[in-house]
Amino acid sequence: MIDRRSRLARIAQVEIPILAIIGFALAPYLWMILTSIKPARELAEWPVHYLPREATLDHYRELITRTSFAGNLSNSLIIACGAALAGLAVSIPAGYAFSRFRFGGRRLLMTGFLAINMFPIVLLIIPLFLLMRALGLLDTYLGVIAGHSTFAIPFAIWMLTSYFNTIPRELDEAATIDGASRLQAIRLIILPLVLPGVATAGIYIFITSWNEYLFAMMLSGEAVRTVTVALQLFIGEFTIQWGLLTAGGTLIALPVTLLFLLVQKRLVGGLTAGAVKS
Amino acid sequence: MRRRDLLKGACALGAAPLANSLLARPALAADTTVRWWYHFDNPQNSPAELVARFESQNPGIKVQAEPIPWGGGNDYQTRLFAALVAGNGPDCAMVRLSWAARFQQMKALEPLDTALAAWPGRADISDDIWKINAGPDGKRYYLPLQYVVVYLYYRADLVEAAGLKPPTGFEEFRNVAKALTKDGISGYGMRGGAGGFDHWGPFALGGGASFEKGGMLTEKALAANRRFVDLARQDKVVPASAPTDSFRQIVDAFKAGRTAMTIHHVGSAKEIVDALGDKVSAVPVPRAPDGKGWTYFGDESNAVFAASKVKEAAFRWISFLSTGENNADLNKLTGQLPVASSARANWTGHPKRFVDASSASLPIAGSLPDHPKTPDFIARVWPANMQRALLGEISSDDMMKAIEQLYHG
Amino acid sequence: MSNAAIAVDRRRVTWTPFLFLAPALAVTTAIVVYPVIQTIWLSFSNYVIYAPDDQRFVGLANFRTMLGDEVFWISLWHSAIWIVGVVSLQFLLGLATALLLNQSFWWRGLARALVVIPWALPSVIIGLMWTWMYDFNTGVINDALIRLGLLSGPVAWLARPDTALYAIMLALIWQGFPFFAVTILSGLQTVPAELYEAAEVDGATRWQKLTKVTLPSIADVIATALLLRTIWVANSLDVILVTTGGGPGYATHTLPLYAFLRAYSGMEFGYGAALALVLTVILFAAVFIYVRRASGEAAR
Repeated sequence: MIDRRSRLARIAQVEIPILAIIGFALAPYLWMILTSIKPARELAEWPVHYLPREATLDHYRELITRTSFAGNLSNSLIIACGAALAGLAVSIPAGYAFSRFRFGGRRLLMTGFLAINMFPIVLLIIPLFLLMRALGLLDTYLGVIAGHSTFAIPFAIWMLTSYFNTIPRELDEAATIDGASRLQAIRLIILPLVLPGVATAGIYIFITSWNEYLFAMMLSGEAVRTVTVALQLFIGEFTIQWGLLTAGGTLIALPVTLLFLLVQKRLVGGLTAGAVKS
Repeated sequence: MRRRDLLKGACALGAAPLANSLLARPALAADTTVRWWYHFDNPQNSPAELVARFESQNPGIKVQAEPIPWGGGNDYQTRLFAALVAGNGPDCAMVRLSWAARFQQMKALEPLDTALAAWPGRADISDDIWKINAGPDGKRYYLPLQYVVVYLYYRADLVEAAGLKPPTGFEEFRNVAKALTKDGISGYGMRGGAGGFDHWGPFALGGGASFEKGGMLTEKALAANRRFVDLARQDKVVPASAPTDSFRQIVDAFKAGRTAMTIHHVGSAKEIVDALGDKVSAVPVPRAPDGKGWTYFGDESNAVFAASKVKEAAFRWISFLSTGENNADLNKLTGQLPVASSARANWTGHPKRFVDASSASLPIAGSLPDHPKTPDFIARVWPANMQRALLGEISSDDMMKAIEQLYHG
Repeated sequence: MSNAAIAVDRRRVTWTPFLFLAPALAVTTAIVVYPVIQTIWLSFSNYVIYAPDDQRFVGLANFRTMLGDEVFWISLWHSAIWIVGVVSLQFLLGLATALLLNQSFWWRGLARALVVIPWALPSVIIGLMWTWMYDFNTGVINDALIRLGLLSGPVAWLARPDTALYAIMLALIWQGFPFFAVTILSGLQTVPAELYEAAEVDGATRWQKLTKVTLPSIADVIATALLLRTIWVANSLDVILVTTGGGPGYATHTLPLYAFLRAYSGMEFGYGAALALVLTVILFAAVFIYVRRASGEAAR
């Protein structure tokens, strides 16, 4: 799509609104960063002081050296990647099936998958705990990955189904006419086109697993403790360690942001240009 | 004579190791592991040193200390109960009195009476504390570890400037609060949010209400509660955020100088002194005109679970933690007060005036009833009804009725 | 010729779709079905965790109690406001963001990455930060609004029953709009370029391109995202729990939060499960209706 607007018009119509939205998205995060570099005694004041009088990196230092935060970050990374891979491996074929086939029970199955997410997870947590214990998966990576991916799968399937639906059926047929088997058609034609959708579903599972607390708290012990549980440890009975908490909170958003920075290139459009002659 | 002396000497020499081996506890089977669940408010403080000390004094026992997130009490409780139900709970854990009745119904705890009777450190813990920690059926399941007692923080400078003295009774308290409510400051930072029953308790329970059957509905009880609610609705000495303020909010407001008095305990003393220095001091909570009072005893104990296979080793560990120097070192990690009186004697963990206020409050300190409904009271019934009463959605008498209904149907 | 090919295809492959679905079905059944069925079973009993010996089947007694429970009705009403308000505003903001991020400007990559941050934070951090920002005595929102002259004195946003729910809804909108932004953005990427070119040839304006090409093409993606988000928002209780715990009074009680409080603080698992089941049934009905309508249209 050729953008014919003048540079000035573009700034006014695109860049300024985006700046406002990003400002909205980042303001609380920036407040958290500012808090994390303030010494503890500057934290409860009225009127509020925005910038620290004595900026300090002590909280970050303490976070990394005296707690298990770095290890927890890597646990979270392993679990989130595992959940995304496992979830996608399972959801992509399912999404394709729901999109391309019409079969008995299709609607019921689609709704049925979603039914899992219609329960508040908190109520499932104790039976799930007992199940994981019976399977011997407590405090293992596999246990938490299984928990996370299972609850992300229904959403991922639905998302992928709708992305598959945006690829016109004619492409499948065009490939079949050209002599490709169904699997070849999927691999060579469809998948590349639905890659933005796959990337989105993958991101969704990753983020859902990354900031998930309940399963991680119940199903993991110290060995595979994730970063969300580690942060919760700073919220005690009688105190909240604001410094460590905000330092941790600042760091926790970074891997996801970096990941998304890398992946968002995959969201480049226009891949179907020329694929179908109408 | 020399032979007799020699014989005596030899006997003595021989008897000593013999006596030692008879009186000493039998050696445990090789390498027992004790799993202990705990929660520290400062997780960067690790009990590793205490564990190492214990292990060197008790060869053959290894302690596996696992920190569990507190999550407002909910997460810790859920983990613990779920693990007990699933059969893979720890051998011992830090526990609160408010869960004792539920543990009792699940028959999850091991009675410690015999072990405690034989424990030398028992005498080092004051009777006040033992009294509060008795089990619901008269047996002892809990071994006290640390505690806090709730008292009244007040701005000594503002009180003095107004020509007043720190309050000791309800009416005095009300007058001081009213006198200090001006210039954007509220006289009393009331805690209506989670955990706020420790503000309500001194006025309501201290004023004559009780958890016995009908105890919330006596004339005295209803009047006491009305007085408390009126602090907000009539006297207007509390900030507008009081209904949902929890400990973080009342401490921050007090530190920022937006309230002149508030009720909390020694756990917040350091940060308050950091912010206000000598301007802040503390006294026990105000008492009723008849001299009776109530303040909250924030308990923390250890218990051994009935399902444990290493009960004796577990008891050795928890009794180690409550003994003299170890107890002091533990409390340096947790920021609470040691139960061992020997440790408290030279306690420098907190500024002295707050430790004194805590000690002075012990005689009126109490806990909430050992009843399975108590956690529900704490987390759901009290907050919802207190907040509604403070906002005027229900009358203060309705609130007392709701509490009575929870406990006695 | 292509029609015949499709017809043959349809008759031959009655088992192929299930082959594609097998992995998903296997994993889901193994992990989730048992807990869900157990919880449904519990809603028909009076199970209390610390009194497991007293558990009895009570049929519909829990549901009967619910009908007379004023807190249930309050929570249901709040859930309705919650779902409609949060999802619609998350969607609108996310749609605007996605459309803007689809344009080209030099710092687009960075903008896309930054917009994800609210979504990446755990609920407990979001709850605590927003609670602190809304604080009556030391909060930055009150301070900023007073400095800007929009308020004369601080407002107790989270302590007033008329503002508490909406204050938390703002936090949720902030947390969730990146989901819509990202999902819709990828949907926009799969719109074939020829459609825009064809519209250009026909002389369409920007607005017409938006309404006649873009939105219809991503209608399915939008509908799915709305559906998924509605289910997620309906069941979310983390942020409310951390900010007000359901208070003041019952002002921020939603149905899942109420179910949680009864199940965990009261340990009345049976009643909590029953409350949760009501929400599940309502959502299930809504989804089923949507699926039937959507399939009905696709079959045409």
